[in-house]
Amino acid sequence: MAMSTAKRAVITAVLVAVFGGALYFALRGQQQLRIGQQQAVEVANTVVLKGLIALDVEPYFKDERVVRALAAKKLPVSVVRVGSRDMGGKVVAGAGPDFFFSSGVVAANQIVEAARKANLPATQMAPFYTPLVIASWEPIAKILVANGVAKAVSPKVYGVDMGKLTELMLARKRWKDLKGAADYEVGRSVLVSTTDLRRSNSGAMYLALTSQALLGDIVTDRATAQQVSLKLAELFKRQGYQENYVDGNFDDYVAIGIGKTPMAFIYENQLVRYALTKGGVGADMVLLYPLPTIVNKVVFVAMNDRAKALGTALSNDPELQAIAVEYGFRIADTDKFVTALKPTGLAVEPRLIQVVDPPSAEIMAEMIDTVAKEMAQ
Amino acid sequence: MKLTPKLTRLLALCVIPLFLLTGCSKNDEPLPAPPPPPPPSVPAAEFTVLATSDLRDVQPLEEMVQKATGVELKFRWGGTMESTEAVLGGEAKAAAAWFANAKYLLANPQGQSRVKLQEKIMLSPIAVGVSESDARRYGWDKPDLKMTWKDIAQAAKEGKLRYALSNPATSNQGFMALMGVVAAAGGKAEALSAADVNRGAIADFLKGYKIAGDNSTYLAEQFILQQGTKANAFINYESWLMSLNASGKLREKLLLIYPFEGVSNADYPFMLLDDSRRAEYLKVVGYLKGDAAQTWLARQTLRRPIQPEVAARVEDLLPKSGLQIELPFSPDRALADGLIAAYLNEFRTPIASTFVLDTSGSMLGGGRREQLVQAMGYIAGADASLTGRIAKLTNREKVWLQPFSDVPYGRTAFEVPAGNSGAKGVAEQADSEAKLKVLAGVREFAENLEMKGGTALYDAVYESLRHMLAERAKNPRYQYSVVAFTDGEVNKGRAFEQFKQDYAALPEDVRAIPVFWVLFGEANEAQLKELAKLTGGQVFDARKRSLYSVFKDIRAYQ
Repeated sequence: MAMSTAKRAVITAVLVAVFGGALYFALRGQQQLRIGQQQAVEVANTVVLKGLIALDVEPYFKDERVVRALAAKKLPVSVVRVGSRDMGGKVVAGAGPDFFFSSGVVAANQIVEAARKANLPATQMAPFYTPLVIASWEPIAKILVANGVAKAVSPKVYGVDMGKLTELMLARKRWKDLKGAADYEVGRSVLVSTTDLRRSNSGAMYLALTSQALLGDIVTDRATAQQVSLKLAELFKRQGYQENYVDGNFDDYVAIGIGKTPMAFIYENQLVRYALTKGGVGADMVLLYPLPTIVNKVVFVAMNDRAKALGTALSNDPELQAIAVEYGFRIADTDKFVTALKPTGLAVEPRLIQVVDPPSAEIMAEMIDTVAKEMAQ
Repeated sequence: MKLTPKLTRLLALCVIPLFLLTGCSKNDEPLPAPPPPPPPSVPAAEFTVLATSDLRDVQPLEEMVQKATGVELKFRWGGTMESTEAVLGGEAKAAAAWFANAKYLLANPQGQSRVKLQEKIMLSPIAVGVSESDARRYGWDKPDLKMTWKDIAQAAKEGKLRYALSNPATSNQGFMALMGVVAAAGGKAEALSAADVNRGAIADFLKGYKIAGDNSTYLAEQFILQQGTKANAFINYESWLMSLNASGKLREKLLLIYPFEGVSNADYPFMLLDDSRRAEYLKVVGYLKGDAAQTWLARQTLRRPIQPEVAARVEDLLPKSGLQIELPFSPDRALADGLIAAYLNEFRTPIASTFVLDTSGSMLGGGRREQLVQAMGYIAGADASLTGRIAKLTNREKVWLQPFSDVPYGRTAFEVPAGNSGAKGVAEQADSEAKLKVLAGVREFAENLEMKGGTALYDAVYESLRHMLAERAKNPRYQYSVVAFTDGEVNKGRAFEQFKQDYAALPEDVRAIPVFWVLFGEANEAQLKELAKLTGGQVFDARKRSLYSVFKDIRAYQ
């Protein structure tokens, strides 16, 4: 059968069109599938990691640069601040957050313990930390040195013997009773000011540190806890009114000064952050490092693999670590921390040698309770 | 309904902002805050701030804040005690509160729960301002002077220091000055209890207390009039004393002395009360702590900036007083209550006053009679609140009730007996039988008042002043005053002009007996204001507030 050339051409065209169309549609389908898969991966990457965090690291997570860096790493986070001591109770299978960032080892251990009971995996990491220190003033430090309570370590850095200091305070010495007190010849008692320990972690750490100083060892049983904290309660009670928000004590140190706050128990990162933000500190401001001191590790607890990746990024990523230093925290690389501080004139002790742990969460709770009861009387 | 995955994600995203917002309170380890209500679609209008009246000089901030932040800041003024009470009771009806000092509020768990956020804005220490000539005469002008509260109490006892001070029972300055004396005499640096209080030292210090009042504006007016005659010193916040020095109204300037072992600083915490106004609050605080506002506050109100950098820049404005030690603040309620009760019932110059009470026919309408009976009932002891305790008749107090209608009639005297007190300590005492009997008598008298006839206010006030003068001549160791209460125009007895003439003809020392005028109902505001000036008193407006709340205010002036 003869077919006209024209007809054949048309058929070819139609066939090509049909097959081509089929091929086109087939290919498009595949492509769409691929796009769909890709989208799914991207969606998984943008699902926000939910975290419960302590106050200490809240400004860090709110920092635009941190938000951007984590988004670029496909680890966007959304955080809510809760009290570190309440975190253990938030470990719930299927409904809990992806990670916790708690203030201190004690709270972190509570979280891990709760996770173990709920049969959930939990990994601890400590991307940054800060020691508890006493922010003070040159004239005060000199008086403490003259009385054998402190020793100069380097310019503007002192180590203070917590045992002797605690003894002095419990003996109800006043500044004017001390040797060489001409520069601070006042009737106020020698006391370190703290935030209200019923509402704040740093206040509780002060109790931990003084209990260690009094006993010469970490408190491990309830009877000793009660006995020691009964003795120490006056260190809180005699302060009179205490600020009950975390920055209150530090604000008074900076704004009101030596007249109100000769010695303030703070996290080192509070003053470091202040120095970095303001580009310096007051000429008289010095740091006293308690010997021994407690290091407050901001402990990261990951509840799944993506959260673990987040923890690793916080611990290792140079940019994220550098931003942590801006917030006053120490990082694994101490040199970087010290270098960042140099221009501000604030001197720190780079090596923290004498470090103790606070008592267990249970014992701490017992001690805080005892002091709180005394204070309410 | 089944949610598609996409919709679920979308919903998840919507939830995040809320999740992010919760738990921003500034307390270190707080209870998790409830999620704030969603922001109102229409921006809420005024951002009302309940502020203590010593902050009146910052009024221009309303406009400055509005310009800088768009927040419509609006101040409402109140006394320290009543404002504290309002915040504690959750009745402040304000988005925020701003006090010179809020330590009592914040030492109280109830108070802590009311205050969602707090930031200190500025500082002003309490100082003793002494007329320069007297400061020189007593050698208090030496730069290395280490004057203590003990020295101050001694100087007051010897008559060298005669001061104006706001009421220790109702104001922070007054109370903290008293605490300074108590702490110095107690020989304890802190942890004072009611039992440690040295009563002798309080008595010594209060011998010098010559001009009393409830707010700094009133005290400043009185001090300007009586500097050099009745008083030679003013104890108040540094900012007030320096503003007074700069005003040019004083006969001579005041030299500021900061008691060596410690003073109390006003630290002006700005406190968020209404959590739904958090965003505006943060804007306002950001502005107040910024360079512009901090510098303005330092220059215009002479308060010390809370920001050390700004403080360094305006150093020339404020005296370099060297070391200023802050007195530890005892949050011990029993001590505070005991001290205030002891001050009122034992140490202060006892009050002798006449309440001139309108019993004209118009008092029958609009619940007026009921208000008067209730107010008198409360003063006679039926109110146990913070401010109620201050309004209550105190031990040793003499009160005359002088009703009037067509004429003054039936003046009746009451005298509250003294309590017994030990040598040491200020533990609060229960009312004695005898005191309770007197209080019941006052209440009964008020309940039996009959309302009829006209309004002979000026006759009644004139008679009462003459009577107070006679009493004062017999018993000078009391603080005399007259409270004049009326609800209408004077239509019987002396007219306005006649009263002014007769008042002018009274002996000069009538001026030591202030008349406090209560404006109620249809009383003539212009006339009462003029008379308040003439008689060294004040006008209190009871047209928009309850009569009792006005009576409470007056009690702080007596």
